[in-house]
Amino acid sequence: MRAFWVACLAAVAIAVGAYFFLSAVQEPTGVAVATDGARIDTSWVWRSLLGTSVSESGKKTVQAEACDMHKNWQWIFIDFRRRDGEAGACWASQ
Amino acid sequence: MAGAWVRIRPILVAVALLVFSAAAAPLAAQQPGSVDPNAAAVKEQLLLQQRNRIEGLGTIPDAKSYVIEQPMGRAWREFHEVWLHWIGAIAVLGMLAVLIIFYLSRGMVRIASGRSGTNIVRFNAFERFVHWMTATCFIIMALSGLNITFGKHTLLPLIGPSAFSWWSLAAKYAHNLLSFPFTLGVFLIFLMWLGGNVPNRVDIEWLKRGGGIVGHDQPPAYRFNAGQKGVYWIVVLGGAAVAVSGYILMFPFYGTNIADMQIAQVVHGVVAVLFVAVMLAHVYIGTIGMQGAFEAMGKGTVDLNWAKEHHSLWVEQERLRNDPGRMQGQPSATPAE
Repeated sequence: MRAFWVACLAAVAIAVGAYFFLSAVQEPTGVAVATDGARIDTSWVWRSLLGTSVSESGKKTVQAEACDMHKNWQWIFIDFRRRDGEAGACWASQ
Repeated sequence: MAGAWVRIRPILVAVALLVFSAAAAPLAAQQPGSVDPNAAAVKEQLLLQQRNRIEGLGTIPDAKSYVIEQPMGRAWREFHEVWLHWIGAIAVLGMLAVLIIFYLSRGMVRIASGRSGTNIVRFNAFERFVHWMTATCFIIMALSGLNITFGKHTLLPLIGPSAFSWWSLAAKYAHNLLSFPFTLGVFLIFLMWLGGNVPNRVDIEWLKRGGGIVGHDQPPAYRFNAGQKGVYWIVVLGGAAVAVSGYILMFPFYGTNIADMQIAQVVHGVVAVLFVAVMLAHVYIGTIGMQGAFEAMGKGTVDLNWAKEHHSLWVEQERLRNDPGRMQGQPSATPAE
């Protein structure tokens, strides 16, 4: 089954290359279909409209604008854990 | 006289309109529920019928967004919310049902003469590498694709919205990114096995005799029999169809309009679910459906008796090649790698 494992590794390697290729070619929705006057911020979430959000523990959390966007490596490794110090609203809405 | 008429005419028109309005007002007031809460919807429908679409004006560069409703969009929505579900469910579940019934009635196709203990190389390492790369990507894309169509009806109620969102997000990225190695795999399969998959007269005889699957006959075949050739062309043509339509969807409006995108989605959805159904049969015959078949892709070698029973003409070709290196006098349990 060595061929199988090598094939899996090759598929992952090509997929990672495809990720960077797509990142270079494709535009975020907010850039592709908006203007400077009416730009959609892709990091915007509906919770930001309220300013605060109720976390799982029932406490109000900070504004969602403070959220960190996921890094490339997080997408590749499907790592969507909550970052240290990140608001609950960010973790729940991105 | 004419001058007087010109002066009087506007006054007459105004009076006529006033009289008409006064007469119409009581009639309108007599209608039950004169304020129709659905008036907006009625107007929208009338507008759609008269102009065939509802559109407005906008200031953002994407002119497509000015069109709010168009008849083809409704047909497309009907397709992916209703028809695709039926086509997919019938194809996939129908194939599963057929395979289960077939297995229960026919059982595993065994090597009639038993294992010989001698193996013959069926697929080399590169062929197996290409097969598994394509197959692995296909399985993940099939599951993630089926999730797009059926997930919200089947998985969402089971795992809840939060888990379903994360799963769908990851599945969507996997679906898009693995399409690249899948496409490469399909292209390599096309080149690699084209020579052995051109239909010939032997295939007709093989089909007439049921291919050894239906009944207990063992019709002769070269390296690939008619059934395998069918799978090959389905993979090549179906793979090309889902790849092209998928890339159109992945690069929206790169030289396409809304109608093209809708057609691409229809082609992608229909071909994909049929593709999944066919691959279920392929997986079945390559695993529990036939003794010794999985070894071809698992180890690269097959038992000589298996080869003689299912690909007798290919075995003869191998003998004529007079290449003793391809015949391994090893126990069948010995891996080729």
